Amino acid sequence: MRQNNQLGVYVLAIFILTLVTLVSTPLHRYLDLANIVMIFLLVVFLNAHKLGRGPAIMSAVLAVALFDFFFVPPRFSFAVHDLQYLVTFLVMLCVGLVTAHLTTRLQKKTEDAEKRERDTNRLYMLARELAGATTLERIFEVVKKYLLSLGCQSALHLVDNQGNFPTLRYEVLMHDLALSALRQSSTLNISQLSNNGSQGFVVPIKSINQSFGVLILQESAAIPDDYQVNVRELEAVSDLVTITMERLHYVDLAQQTQLEATSERLRSSILSALSHDLRTPLTGLVGMSDSLAMLTETKEMKIHSAATAIRDQARTMNNLLSNLLDMARLQVGKVKLKKEWQLFEDVIGASIQLLKPALVHHPVTVQLDQDLPLINFDAVLIERVLCNLLENAAKYSPAEGAIEIRAFVNTETACISIRDHGKGFSEHNRDLLFQMFNRGDTESRLPGVGMGLAICKAIVEAHQGTISAETSNDGGAVVTIALPLGNPPEFKPEFEIEK
Amino acid sequence: MSVIKNVIVIEDEPQIRSFVKEALENEGWNVFEAENGKRGLIEAGCRKPDLLIVDLGLPDMDGVHIIKEFRNWSAVPVLILSARTEETTKITALDAGADDYLTKPFGIGELLARVRAVTRRRLQATDAPAKVIFGNVEIDLPQHSVTRNGQAVHLTPIEYRLLVMLITNPSKILSQSRLMKEVWGPNHAESSHYLRIYMSHLRQKLENDPAQPEHLLTEIGVGYRFES
Repeated sequence: MRQNNQLGVYVLAIFILTLVTLVSTPLHRYLDLANIVMIFLLVVFLNAHKLGRGPAIMSAVLAVALFDFFFVPPRFSFAVHDLQYLVTFLVMLCVGLVTAHLTTRLQKKTEDAEKRERDTNRLYMLARELAGATTLERIFEVVKKYLLSLGCQSALHLVDNQGNFPTLRYEVLMHDLALSALRQSSTLNISQLSNNGSQGFVVPIKSINQSFGVLILQESAAIPDDYQVNVRELEAVSDLVTITMERLHYVDLAQQTQLEATSERLRSSILSALSHDLRTPLTGLVGMSDSLAMLTETKEMKIHSAATAIRDQARTMNNLLSNLLDMARLQVGKVKLKKEWQLFEDVIGASIQLLKPALVHHPVTVQLDQDLPLINFDAVLIERVLCNLLENAAKYSPAEGAIEIRAFVNTETACISIRDHGKGFSEHNRDLLFQMFNRGDTESRLPGVGMGLAICKAIVEAHQGTISAETSNDGGAVVTIALPLGNPPEFKPEFEIEK
Repeated sequence: MSVIKNVIVIEDEPQIRSFVKEALENEGWNVFEAENGKRGLIEAGCRKPDLLIVDLGLPDMDGVHIIKEFRNWSAVPVLILSARTEETTKITALDAGADDYLTKPFGIGELLARVRAVTRRRLQATDAPAKVIFGNVEIDLPQHSVTRNGQAVHLTPIEYRLLVMLITNPSKILSQSRLMKEVWGPNHAESSHYLRIYMSHLRQKLENDPAQPEHLLTEIGVGYRFES
């Protein structure tokens, strides 16, 4: 096809020159030779401009020959009398060659520009299609179609959470290549792996902070012969795919977060509804039995003591309820800790204050180490831990038994230990202590369902801390909680803040 | 105090309302009840109350909203009733102008103690004392001097400001953010550990047993309170 075309161009060039010769011959009488040369020069120029390098050279040579033969005296012979015509021939030849050269260059440039435009356009279309893609499958499909139009077979392989390619499990070599392309963030040329000489590439699909996978390309046989896969274009494709995947990823993430927030809200609203509905009758119970007790204080001893008992039972029930709800919160959802940097003494003092009624028969001593650092914890929850522990200490030790609280720093942790003078823990059930619904002594007369320590454990562990129980040498129980030290915020002495 | 005083109890649960009413009437209060926020605000507007008791969980209106509304035209003490789970609501309510809160369930004794505390505070507030005495500590406000067992105690300017803030609001819970704002100014409101450290300094200087304070009390998750 192309061959024929070339031949045609040459024939056309010859035809035009012949025509010009025929037309110029009759004009010979009226025109000066210099003007006839001009006509020939014009034709050589036009041929060179329109027909390309080969025909241009041929036109120049042929024009020289024709002009020499038909017009330069002696006519109808190639002999030249006047040697200055050689200059004419030379100029004609040069014009032909230079014009042909310039034209060819221009044409090539135009073609390049057109090709680039086509490529850009194609990429633009790809970008548009990818922008509309909402699923992974659609991305696969669009990219595959695009690369096929470039004459490449392609496959997209995604990394899993462990950083492996499950879809390349059985192709060890390809798997390693894919991994190294991802690691180096650069396109690998794997042409030497193919046995038919076609080109192949492994292109990473990777954003700054996330790796998605690789695109593996294999040139197919039916590739347009003027086309060559170029790495820069492949990388543009990979960038587009990366952006799309990233978009999908963040859309997913946003949806998931929203879902979690919704279920979190639902859970907490169920819990607070439950808390409200159960606590309201308890509040009535406590208040009403209390007023009954006050009313009958002096008159009816029996009724008075019954009313007091009802009130105390209702309060116990309220404590159980608080523990149950807290446990539900801790177990069901991730409790959001309201951590702040604070001092142990605040929370210890507040717990003792809160439990004053339960501690009337137990002298409490507090020993704080010098220079205790600020610790990062949720004060409300840690207060709950201390209250539970103090309550236990009061419940399981004889009246007037002292309770000792100690706060100290132990290498990596800050600790609070609470020690009573009761029976301590029996060795065999110490491991079970912190489990739900487990009590040291199952047949105990004392009320409780064995939830206090389980909650303490859950809260302390939510703070990345530990809780441990042991029996001291003199027989009392010692429970110690240890919280990580962390890096407290700086504290500038007063005069610096004042400024 | 022979004058009969009015209290409005805004609470949606009839049982709670009834025992609160009975207890307060025994103390000589004239009790008006309201079962929702709207009714409560109307009562508050026409009864000239000396005390407002508000449940934070009302069916028709947020308790905090009632307090804000009420504070637009009245400085009368407000006592909140709330469930234990609502630390942040408590803080919002206190910052909105409530004076104190009672955690459900509560006994008559606690209720009356709180009521006495907030109303006594009102009496004191009208004739600001020149001298505050608690435990073995004496504070002379005009003189800016603090003595303990007759010995002068040196307080830094911040410690003194913090102490004055607390003792001029006896029995009232001051939220952390309010204390930070009043003592350090609005720019330091986020570094609350300063507050804790200075409270600890104050306790060490003024309390007999700083680990079991009797006067400078912590309300965990909410703020601080001074009890004389």
